Amino acid sequence: MIEHFNRFSGRPIATGLLPAALCGCQELLPVVESEDLIRSGLAIELVLPFDEFATDARVYGGYGRASDLIGGVLAHEFGGQSEGGDPREPGLEAATLMRYGRYPRVVQVLDTAGVLRPDSSLTFLSGRILVRFDTIASVHEGPVEVVAHALTEPWDGLSTTWEYAVDTVGHRVSWSRPGGGVVEEIASAVWDPETGDSVGIHVDSARIAEWADTMDLGRGVRLSTTTPGVRLRVIGSLLRLETRPSINPDTLLHLPSGSEVTTFIYAPSPSQPRKTLRVGGAPAWRTVLTLDVPSVLEGPEELCEAVGCPVEITEDHVSFAALRLFTRVGARAFAPSDTLSIDVRSVMAPQVLPKSPLGPSRVGLGGKIVPHGLFEPPGAELLEIALTSLVRDLLRGETSAGDPITNTIAILSTFEPLSVEYLTFEGASSPNAPGLRIILNFSRDD
Amino acid sequence: MDRTLPAFGRRSRSLPAAAVVALVLPVAGSGQSFLGARGLGVPVGALDARAAALGNLGIGLGGVEVSAGDPATWAHLVWPTVSISMQPAWGEFDLDDQVGDARATRFPLLGIAYPVHRARGVVTLSLAGYLEQRFVAEHESKVVLNDVEVDVEDRLAVDGGTSVIRLGWAQRLGSRFALGVAAGTYVGRLEEVFDRELDSLAIGGEVYSFLEENRWRYSGTTVTVGFGADPVALLHVAGAVELSRDLTEAPQGETVGERLYSIPPRYSAGATGRLSPRLHLNASVVFQDWSAAEGFGEEVLSRRKLNFGTGLEWLLFDGETRSLPLRFGYRQLAAPFRYEKEDPVESIWSLGLGFNFVKAENQRFGWMDVALERGIRTSEPLAERFWRATVSVGVSRF
Repeated sequence: MIEHFNRFSGRPIATGLLPAALCGCQELLPVVESEDLIRSGLAIELVLPFDEFATDARVYGGYGRASDLIGGVLAHEFGGQSEGGDPREPGLEAATLMRYGRYPRVVQVLDTAGVLRPDSSLTFLSGRILVRFDTIASVHEGPVEVVAHALTEPWDGLSTTWEYAVDTVGHRVSWSRPGGGVVEEIASAVWDPETGDSVGIHVDSARIAEWADTMDLGRGVRLSTTTPGVRLRVIGSLLRLETRPSINPDTLLHLPSGSEVTTFIYAPSPSQPRKTLRVGGAPAWRTVLTLDVPSVLEGPEELCEAVGCPVEITEDHVSFAALRLFTRVGARAFAPSDTLSIDVRSVMAPQVLPKSPLGPSRVGLGGKIVPHGLFEPPGAELLEIALTSLVRDLLRGETSAGDPITNTIAILSTFEPLSVEYLTFEGASSPNAPGLRIILNFSRDD
Repeated sequence: MDRTLPAFGRRSRSLPAAAVVALVLPVAGSGQSFLGARGLGVPVGALDARAAALGNLGIGLGGVEVSAGDPATWAHLVWPTVSISMQPAWGEFDLDDQVGDARATRFPLLGIAYPVHRARGVVTLSLAGYLEQRFVAEHESKVVLNDVEVDVEDRLAVDGGTSVIRLGWAQRLGSRFALGVAAGTYVGRLEEVFDRELDSLAIGGEVYSFLEENRWRYSGTTVTVGFGADPVALLHVAGAVELSRDLTEAPQGETVGERLYSIPPRYSAGATGRLSPRLHLNASVVFQDWSAAEGFGEEVLSRRKLNFGTGLEWLLFDGETRSLPLRFGYRQLAAPFRYEKEDPVESIWSLGLGFNFVKAENQRFGWMDVALERGIRTSEPLAERFWRATVSVGVSRF
């Protein structure tokens, strides 16, 4: 018998097992559509009133500067009493200030023989300020007169405001007259929106020569409008120089000089809101909320009947959560006239507000798009901002990546500043106070 | 998530035990079925390929065997022996108007025997599948949220099973009689993943699916006592009784709710008769009354109690040291849990071939058995049909 054992080999066994293993090793579970086999689920929607999910609502302002907004604003008596606005609010006055950069020094020019040669001896004969408007965001009812003035007082392109030519930390210089100080009119032109999105204003040779001095801190243009009830959004401008080259004097060249500074100044400045929430503006406003999302629910009745109360909810139960804000018709001077986008971010260090750093966006790339029509009278329109991941993180006590999380959030525009307009929402004391919509899911053993 | 360790962590006090337990997981189950949805699952049928081919229920086969349900049959092994079975299966089901497929490969039985010649007995260890629950159920519905009708998709994936580890002793009493006893423990786990998805378009934003995972671990003890006898040269008979304490379904992690299930006694008997030198007839029967078991819901338990099977083994070639048996069989099983209200019945026709590479007299020392089964189990409105192959290999004196 032993010799038989020695002759025995495991090869036949391995040969038999291998194909058997290969033929059925990929598991396929039976799947059936059946209500009987599956446990039932319960989806319930709750709308928590403000005091059941938040403890505090504050508005902070002053984020960013008007000069951070690419472009400018022109306005005259916009949103004032004559415009049907709040009689206590004067109309908006806004002007765009620009300072053009150094003129071109060398240009490639065809000489009289038709050869392209550099020419550094240029004569600037005159100029034309070209201004381009955002035709969608601008508010007007027809042709608008645009006036260009030359600034005469030194000003700081980054910090200037309606009141101050320079407004930096520890250093303020007022305009001699609010709104740009003493100015000298250059020319005016009428922009007819039906003919295009741009307007040109002629600048004479003396002014062009004057602006060639880049050491002059008072150099600049003040664009404004005299047409009441308009608010125009300037999205770009340049100075087009009519130039005579020395190597071909019979030819006139139009050379561009871009603006090295574009900003805007406006008055009046919005006052600090007391009972409403505000987002946007330039400088920007932020609304800060302290959230206290409940982890135990005592209702509603439907929920209690289904799963019994109190119900402990975890992040797993939250399928959807959204902050519900109700719009309010704010000062017309700053009412939005175009779609804006807002963002929600965690306030990482609430104790150092308003200067706390913020966490990443909770809304996603591009933010929440907000149609301006929601803020037209009578207002009280519902705006929902999905915050599911935030609420889940708050219930978890940390982010899904394990990072710490604070329960303070800031609602702000996606970029600061995004526009001179701001969004106004009902505050915590309003009947239309913010709410939190949550869709919870539970499973039930039947 | 570790799906393996929690189910057996309690038994990891020693390395050998942990190693044994680690082998148990693939043992579990060979029967994916919706019958298990309302109970503890569908019986696995821990049979090797010879028993499967012969329509046997794991008891009373002539010749020395490695069997989880026949503790005395190991007694005549003279060399350390290992036997393992592998079982790929392909199934399809009809449920109301739905049809579907299932496919799986399992290792339903592993047996290890170590003879102790001075005591004329054998130490036995077996790892056997017992019940299995593996299926996915889906359901679509609608809910009204914020006055908007929202589509809901629910999905429940159930994955788990129970196995039995038995350690026993088989004692030879003379050349024609043997007794066996095996004490065992139930081990296993069950995972349920419930996934609910709401239609994000109707809700108006990114919607997270609701995912709930529940895990349980099974434990319990069992003991099997049996005998085997050859009262005459042409007949082998065997019987066994298996008694179990309650099966405990203990929640793991954040799952709540412990449940106890009683497992009724299992009585089994079998016999093999020699019709001619090359033709053997076997029959076996198992009685187990689940209808009075406790811990289950209403109308879950089947009233059927009797399982039986029979088969023929024909030695196509019977040499001095090798043989080649051809096998046929049929068995009818009573699964313990219904789908709805009808008691389930499982009927299996089987065919098999054995390759006894090394044998002496009626004892095999190296073999490979192959079985192919065609079965159908019904419990209105459910009907499941399957093909199942079993390959078993055994080696002695390794």
